[in-house]
Order: sequence, then structure tokens, then C-alpha cells
Amino acid sequence: MRLISRRRALVLTAGSAAAAALGWSGKSRATPKDAAEAIAKFTGGKTAENGKISIELPEIAENGNTVPLKVSVDAPMNADDYVSDILVIADGNPLPRVVTFRFTPMSGKAVASTRIRLATTENIIAVAKTSGGQIFTAQKLVKVTIGGCGG
Amino acid sequence: MAATPRLKLPREAKKGDIIEIKTLLPHPMESGQRKGKDGKVIPRKIINKFVCTFNDKPVFTAGLEPAVAANPYLEFFAKVEESGTFKFTWTDDDGTVTTAEQKIIVT
Amino acid sequence: MRQGGIFAAGAAFLIVAGAFVLAVTPASFAQAKELAPLDTKGDASIRPWKRYDKWPKRDESKFNTLAKISSPPAPKEPRKLSGPIKGDAANGAKLVSNRKRGGSCLACHVMGPAGGANLPGNVGPDLSEIGNANLTDEFLFNYIYDARVYNPETVMPPWGSHGLFNDQEISDMVAFLKTLKSPAVFKTALDNPEKRPAPVEKRANLDPMENPGMWAIDKAKELWSKVGSTGKSCASCHGNPAMQFKAWASSLPKWEPRLNKVLGVEEFITRHARATTGAEYLMETDDNRVLSVYLHNLAEGVPITVDVSNAAAKAAYKRGEVLANRKLGQLNFACTDCHGKSANHWIRGQWLGTLKGQYDHFPTWRTSQLVIWDIRQRFQWCQVNIRADELPPDAKEYGDLELYLAAQNDGLKENVPGIRH
Repeated sequence: MRLISRRRALVLTAGSAAAAALGWSGKSRATPKDAAEAIAKFTGGKTAENGKISIELPEIAENGNTVPLKVSVDAPMNADDYVSDILVIADGNPLPRVVTFRFTPMSGKAVASTRIRLATTENIIAVAKTSGGQIFTAQKLVKVTIGGCGG
Repeated sequence: MAATPRLKLPREAKKGDIIEIKTLLPHPMESGQRKGKDGKVIPRKIINKFVCTFNDKPVFTAGLEPAVAANPYLEFFAKVEESGTFKFTWTDDDGTVTTAEQKIIVT
Repeated sequence: MRQGGIFAAGAAFLIVAGAFVLAVTPASFAQAKELAPLDTKGDASIRPWKRYDKWPKRDESKFNTLAKISSPPAPKEPRKLSGPIKGDAANGAKLVSNRKRGGSCLACHVMGPAGGANLPGNVGPDLSEIGNANLTDEFLFNYIYDARVYNPETVMPPWGSHGLFNDQEISDMVAFLKTLKSPAVFKTALDNPEKRPAPVEKRANLDPMENPGMWAIDKAKELWSKVGSTGKSCASCHGNPAMQFKAWASSLPKWEPRLNKVLGVEEFITRHARATTGAEYLMETDDNRVLSVYLHNLAEGVPITVDVSNAAAKAAYKRGEVLANRKLGQLNFACTDCHGKSANHWIRGQWLGTLKGQYDHFPTWRTSQLVIWDIRQRFQWCQVNIRADELPPDAKEYGDLELYLAAQNDGLKENVPGIRH
């Protein structure tokens, strides 16, 4: 129990003791090549088709700390035909890989949501793999807000 | 055990229903990308894997990278054909495994 | 009338009788009549106040704060230039987008080629074609140096007379402005502040899956039954907080004659706990924050109604109004410059709301900081941001300002903890 409350205290700690909130240092950025490599590794080099997969994200994120993300693929999700994996990439982050989701026919829907960190205004790319070996992709730009008063 | 996970899923459903599952684990998800006051990089310490099973069969798995926000939140679905137990596990970089489970009655 | 007189005398007796009456009166009755015990001697926050480590440190001592007036006065006359400006337009282009020098011109203006920048603001006019306007060098120079010589009501910072840019840098910016001769081209539709849709807050404040601020309530419930140095806990007197505090937080801040200042929920917690359980819950510490979240949360949905009816409260409200309109810091902004005159505009990528709407969700979880901030910390941060010295959170000026702000939010319903940027 002690451990739990200490952890909670850490999360709730006020500005004085809290480390800088941003997950990223903001200095280093992935290159388009890093993003392309991560995708190629996931697809095994197969060409991705556009469509079938959709990404929901705010067009403008108030900050890059906790940006809601939802990916969904229109698929039957039965034993013969289901989406097995989705990879999410942020092409401007220091490390482009964000999250991978793995589904089974028991998932019922190829839909998943999480909250992500974005270092800057950048593209989010989602790539889905089906049990039949098809690859689908989609991309969306998120503008990460810059504050008014500066540093 | 680290912090207590939060779960949100129905306790009852009809056979064949696709139910929505929401999970959250309080955790700083230290990215390994930022520097502390001393100028040194704060070592990475994240939840790197999440698994959901139903009656011990895999439903949904997520591989998390440092770009997942603090207090990792995951929302997904499951098709239920029988009563049983959902089990959830979160694996920390340091090897700590946090688990939670919830039963569902399917009629 | 007679009955009223007897009742008033009775109330006075209860107050005078103090602790004895409290001890023998049923709790609910005592609560309606008794003055809550308060520590009136010590400070309610750390002294000397020390700025948060992560906040920028600058010498802003010569500029106005909420507690003093010391900024240099506005010039009466424009400065005369000896001849045409010799400036480096390329350096000017860099300076107008340098965020480290007070936020950059793009925070408030769309600027031609620089309009291709990410999410410029629209507090001030679009300057993309200012180079066609036949404005003199002297006018442009003085407008940047200190725009108050032409427009006393301006919200533009006095960049020169407050020492943010030197004469040569201002000359460089003038040279850049003179190159701006064609309408802005935006990279995406969202970059145009005139077309950018105002943000809509869709998050559910009270959903712990959405708002980590809600986790404070579990912690507060632990503190509620924690015994202090006097052997008492909050629960000793407040056994049914959900009933006893179902509206309380919505009626604060409040003028407190025993302290001669306005008390908000957070300072009340510090002083009341000290006088009862003996616990030390200084303002802007974790324990104080979680208790404030909890007490506000108990008043969920209750309209904010602060008392400004008595003479002392009215005077505090008036002082708060004056403070909300006082120009502060090196950037020379008043609260009402951003949240009044310029409200419903974009300051860079951030939407400026009106004063109404800036209070009902405090204390709030801040997604940019991953912590809870109460309203006093929000006041402090605004001041640090505009390059003014902040005050300790229990400063009486903040009390007056909070009362004024709360009154602007009258009727809005408590919805705490909030979740915001």
C-alpha cells in the first residue's frame, strides 16, 4: 500500500518537484527514412494500399503530451478474415514507433484507442495487416499547438 | 505491484455481443528521451506490453513505445460467446507485471 | 423587526460563547451558526516564496506586479529618428518569430511569408501587406518601441521601452515589415486564425479514465480521516462531508474579517486544519490540492455564488477589478487584455477565453504539466509568463482578484477537477 501511494504521489506531484512534463526533449527528430524503415519492417516490404483503415485524431492538439488516437479497420473479424496487427508511426517523433495493436477474431472489431505523445506538428501513419496478408495504410497530420507567451 | 489499474467493462452481456473495454494503469511512462536537472538522460522506464485474454485465450495485445502517454490508456473490443474471466496484464521495463481481472456473465 | 432583533442577539451570543457552545450544540446547528476556527497568525504558504524550479527565472523586479506599481511610464512623445532606418530585414524576420523574446510577433499577428509559420495568432491585425501602407520609418519604429504613444488603449507590449528589444533590433524588424507586400499564404487551412475553429472541450471532467485529477479524491478521503497532532481528523467534526459540503465550495472565496482578506478554498483548508486537527496543509502542496479538489467536487453542479453584498466584500471586489485591469510585468499585460479585450481570439495556437469560464473547473488537471493546479497557481503562472513577479499564493491581492474572477463566473456550475491544457 505504501508503494501505491508513493507512486500516486509521484503522478500528482506539483510543479515544484515534477520533472518537465513533456515526454520528449524535442531536440532530436526521426527522419522520414526512420519512419519508412519501421513500416517496411512491419509489412515485410509489401506495398500498402490506401483505405479501409481510418485514424481519428484532433486536427489541433492543445499540447503533445496526451493526444487521443483511435484507429479502426473495416473488417469481418472472423477466423477466416481478420485484422491481425496495426502499427502506428509518428514521423516527427525522436522515435517514430508509437504503438502496435494485435487483434484476434475474439476482438470482435479491429478498433483500438490510446493516448500518445507528439513532439511537434507531424504526420501519424497507421498500417494494418490482415490474416490474408493484405496491408492497408492511412495518414493524418496533427498540428501541435504553440503557446503564445513563449519561454 | 505498482499502482492499481482501472477497468471499465460490462459485468453482463448477451451471447455474441461485442463489448467495449477500457483500461488504464497509472504509470509515468518515462520515455528515456528527456534530461533531468543534472543534464543526464532520465533512464527509460515504460510499460512496454499489455495483454488481454478471455478464459485464457488471447483477445488483444498492445506493444507500447515511449510515445504512449503517461498513465497508458487502452480501449478495445471483445466478442463474448460464454461467461468467463477477462485477465489483463501490464509489463514494465523493469520486469514488474501488474495484473487485473474481471468476470462477465454471458446469457 | 423585534423577532429579527432577538435572533441577531442570539447569533452574536453564539459567536461570543465560542467553543463552549460548539461543544454542547448539535453539529448541524453549530455549523450554521458558528464561525469555523481559523489560524489567523501564520502564513498559509511557504516564506520566503520561491518560484518553482521549472519556471523561468528572470529579473522582473522593476515592473508592476499585483502588489506594486513600478513599471516605467509610457512615453509622451514618439522618439525622433535622425534619418531613414538602416535595418537588416533578414535579421528582422528572425526576430519576429523568436519565441524566446516574449512570444514573438506571430503570437498576435499573421505576417506575410512568416504567415507560413505554424498557427499564428490574430489578437492584432494581419501585417502581411503593411509594406504597402506608406507608413513612415518613424511611425513603425515607435509603434514597436512603445505603441502607447499612438494608442493608449493598445494591448501591444512596449517592446522597446520595456527593454525586450534594443534600437537596432527594432530597426531590423521595421526593415522586415517594409518587405511585407502580399497577402499571407497559409500552409494549411487551420493555420489561418480567421478560419481556425474555436476549440470545444469534450472531455468529461469527472471520468477517472479521462481525468487523472479525479484520482485526487481517493487521496483526499484518506486525508479526511487522518488524525493530526491534536488527535482529531477532519472526520471528527465532518462525519458526512457529502451532505455538509454539498454547496460550500461554490460560495468561496469569501471576505474573512478575522484575517482582513479574501479567503479561497485552499487558504481556508490551511488555516482551518491548523486550528482544528493540527495538520499542516500549506497552499500549493499536494495534500492541500487534493483536499481542494475533493471539497470542490462535493459541490459538483452547484452554481458559483460569491457574496459581495457587505461593504468589506464590495470593497475587495472593487480592488480585484482594479487589479484585473492593472498592466503587469515586462510584457505589460492586464488580465483583461487577454481575457477581455482580446478574448475569443488566438494567441498563437491558444484560444483566449473570457474571464467567465476561467474559474468553474479549478483546481484542474493540466495535461501539459501532469499535475493539478489550483487557481492561485494559475494566477502565478500567468504572471510569470508575462514576465511579472508572482506573489505568494496567500497574498491578499490574489484574494481580491479571485473574488472578482469568481463573481464574473457567477452562475456557472462547479465542475471540478477540470482537465485542461
